[in-house]
Amino acid sequence: MVIALLALGVMVSLSGAVGVVRLPDVYLRIQASTKAVTLGALPVLLALVVAEGPLTSYGGRALLVALLLLVMSPLASHALDRAAYRTGVPMWSGAVVDQVRQRRGGADDGNG
Amino acid sequence: MIAVWGGACLAEILIAGLLLIRVAIGPTVCDRIVALNMVSTQATLAVLLFAAFADRPIDLDVALWLASFSYLATIVWSRYLERGLL
Repeated sequence: MVIALLALGVMVSLSGAVGVVRLPDVYLRIQASTKAVTLGALPVLLALVVAEGPLTSYGGRALLVALLLLVMSPLASHALDRAAYRTGVPMWSGAVVDQVRQRRGGADDGNG
Repeated sequence: MIAVWGGACLAEILIAGLLLIRVAIGPTVCDRIVALNMVSTQATLAVLLFAAFADRPIDLDVALWLASFSYLATIVWSRYLERGLL
């Protein structure tokens, strides 16, 4: 059980790292990193909780770190995504839709 | 069991090293912040796993500090990029 959780976490983290290195666009990279943090870090922390018990010093701290990651990871990636869009980081040339730009009438150059 | 913790810790460190490629070549500042954010998450996990590997519970507080302050750093950087100095 512990080994399975650790293997899942490490493999998802590895695929997220490959995604961050190889994807063509900052927005896609943010998405890959957020998925990797959520599904790659939580199994590792759960493995620590399962192995040591939830009320030991290891398990308690691991649960606290898991709570922090669950709250802060979407928050930070959303703030970073909005900052990237407003500072005018260009999208990948193969991107098909920009809904913010459509909603603003299409005449805007996308710089907020 | 100890070997499992050590191997997972080493794997997380290697993943963080892979992410440093993106920190080096990232074309914009945002790419570097994304990669550094994920590096700090992997560092948190590596410190936690090292604490379980070496049986030193004092390192768990380091991991807690890293987890809380790395995200604070990301949020502050993105606010700075968005609207200048706070």
